[in-house]
Amino acid sequence: MQTTDPLSMTFGALADPTRRAILSRLSSGEATVNELSVPFDMSLQAVSRHLKVLERAGLITRRRDAQFRPCRFAAEPLEPAVDWIVQHRRIWEERFDQLEQHLAVLQREGADPISPQSTADHRSPTTDHRTPTNKEQPS
Amino acid sequence: MTDTTPTLGELTYTRTWDAPRELVFECMTTPEHLTHFWGPVGVSTPIEKITIDLRPGGIFETVMVNDADGAEFTSRGVYVEIVPPEKLVWSEEGVEGGMTTSITFTDLGDGRCETVAHQTNVPEMYRSADAQAGMVSSFDKMAAYLATVQG
Repeated sequence: MQTTDPLSMTFGALADPTRRAILSRLSSGEATVNELSVPFDMSLQAVSRHLKVLERAGLITRRRDAQFRPCRFAAEPLEPAVDWIVQHRRIWEERFDQLEQHLAVLQREGADPISPQSTADHRSPTTDHRTPTNKEQPS
Repeated sequence: MTDTTPTLGELTYTRTWDAPRELVFECMTTPEHLTHFWGPVGVSTPIEKITIDLRPGGIFETVMVNDADGAEFTSRGVYVEIVPPEKLVWSEEGVEGGMTTSITFTDLGDGRCETVAHQTNVPEMYRSADAQAGMVSSFDKMAAYLATVQG
């Protein structure tokens, strides 16, 4: 039941709304267990349990030297995931921007919008006279 | 995380089209159309290198050519689910440890339609309903506030 691989721990830690709220709070500055227990209306024990999960996942660090061991948000484990989202979202954005242009051209040309036959017959050799470019400019 | 571990991620991308969903669906499933937009920017997708066998288990293959240096990237997918003109799902085993993409097409009733593209390379074992809900919303929020933290 107890998972130990880093990804499972990161995802497990993020799956809980309270822990996400704690991270959100910590992203604006470090806080002690006491400080966290107030806004979240939880016992120190309950907060500590959540913090332990976050700490194991590497999403927070706790200073050993200070008396109240304040917690600090550690973004590092999330960076690859965030990069992934940003990168893939950009691909869809650019792709769909281009599709938008393509649709505008199609509709202006008054092309038959629904031609299921041509869809079904897509494997036949094409006689498309247009150059294979993905950047059709509106005329 | 080590360099050899594929980064896991999941995203949902919604778009409204000023076109009927039949046409948008056709554009997403026909080489003659795909070649015009599959891109993305700076990347061409030659029509003669697009393979579409529109049935569950059929091939969906594209070769993307970098406009700058001619480098080619082949993306080989397999269709999982096809419900014209409502839904399209394919998976790519060779991409980032296994990528699944699903697109739903909703008729908005006024000549427009909406597509929701959902893409994930998170393995099934991580995708219980709870974990998924948590991840999607948290990653989207994280992306927003990480930008603030790091900015």
